[in-house]
Amino acid sequence: MLVTWKYRPRDTFIQRLDPRTRIIMLACMVVAFTVFWDLRVVLPLAALSFALFGLARIEWRDVKRAVLFISAFAIILVIVNAILGARGAPPSVRADVSPVVWQSPEIVIGSWHWAFRITAARIMFMISQLLRFLGMAFMAIPIPYTLDPELYGATFRQLGVPDKPSYSIDLAFRLVPTLARDFGITIDAQRARGYELDKVKGGLFERIRRLAPIIVPVVIQSIVDGEEIIDAMELRGFGVGKRTWTRHLHYRPVDYAIIAVGLVFAVVCTLMGLLQIAADVWLPPLLLSLAG
Amino acid sequence: MDKSIWKFGTREVVYAAIGAALYGVLSWVTNIFPLPSAGNVSFRPAVAVLALFGVAFGPWVGLLSGLVGNTLGDALTGWGLYWNWSVGNGLMGMIPGLAVSMITAYNKPRDMGIGVGWSLGGALVGMAFASLTEMMVSGIDLNTALVGYLTPAFLGNAVIIIILLPILMIAYNSVAGRLGR
Repeated sequence: MLVTWKYRPRDTFIQRLDPRTRIIMLACMVVAFTVFWDLRVVLPLAALSFALFGLARIEWRDVKRAVLFISAFAIILVIVNAILGARGAPPSVRADVSPVVWQSPEIVIGSWHWAFRITAARIMFMISQLLRFLGMAFMAIPIPYTLDPELYGATFRQLGVPDKPSYSIDLAFRLVPTLARDFGITIDAQRARGYELDKVKGGLFERIRRLAPIIVPVVIQSIVDGEEIIDAMELRGFGVGKRTWTRHLHYRPVDYAIIAVGLVFAVVCTLMGLLQIAADVWLPPLLLSLAG
Repeated sequence: MDKSIWKFGTREVVYAAIGAALYGVLSWVTNIFPLPSAGNVSFRPAVAVLALFGVAFGPWVGLLSGLVGNTLGDALTGWGLYWNWSVGNGLMGMIPGLAVSMITAYNKPRDMGIGVGWSLGGALVGMAFASLTEMMVSGIDLNTALVGYLTPAFLGNAVIIIILLPILMIAYNSVAGRLGR
């Protein structure tokens, strides 16, 4: 079994940026999206996120599955949330007094009457929520495709994470191909012994228990092999002093500029949130006139 | 609480990395092979490995295995980078790690019960953290967070922990003596 990273080297503006810049920018955008519900602010933010996604120039065939899955998930989540009450929503949706735009035929069972009503505030909330969700996802999706797996450890180290956890991150990414190979060998070996992973017979518990012949050998062997890695690291004096890293990241002027803009942006958005500016849904006059 | 469970030396660095890599790879492998499912509850066998690394090597190893492993799994499948789910997975590994000093033999029913109990607590806290922070991040309703996220995630993980963690603990017991623990 060959494990392949989603990452490909590309000569793009996004990939020329320092990975730390991109992580900081992602955090700033998440802060910004979390504050606002007003479509007049959410829409430009989402547009910025989609533009940055486009700038990453990831091949559609690579990213298609993730984009379609996450978009479908977002749409279903927004609809389910609207049906379940939207009580996590901003004040005007929670205490909704906006005009009803559409109402389903009334269901009458005895003395009980029920109709699904969609109000102007609820529609605007759903649109803002979908754009917020997709905006954040479109900032997050390009990371695995455009951030070199070899750089995760160095990135988090240089973002201030201590040496040892950063080394765990680095080592984890390095171990992936070996462990994926071990899983492949184990699956093949067990199949050669007559093991049927995709056998559909048996109850739920039995089918989960049947995964043990694959998981147990790989997990236990990797724990035993871990001792060799520990010995090798300790023999080389791991942990006795400050580590140096083979890959050292350097900010360029464009990185400083983007980080500065991102941080100012996050601070301004947080202040706007504290002052409750654009924190509620916006009801466009056209929608209100449609509702009569 | 025993302070030694918070030690983070070379051993913990390596086992955190192995735990994270196993968690990420196993999440990816089970995306390829069909797995049983019931309703909207999906099962991730990798969760049992995460619980084992917590129970066997302590809270830091559990935390990093979940935190980094989830990021790594997302990097392999290409979903993106979602901080609240990574932290939730980290908590799911860290909480079983708090029980490490209570376990003396991994093949004793009492100790397996402790491991499973703390791991179920970890799954509940971790998935609750991720689901409830989604309320802030995506603006979803509490009902949606509970019905759409927490219940299926917790139930799926709980079934995996109850079935696979004791098997992994028994297997681990046979090598634990060799690891100088």
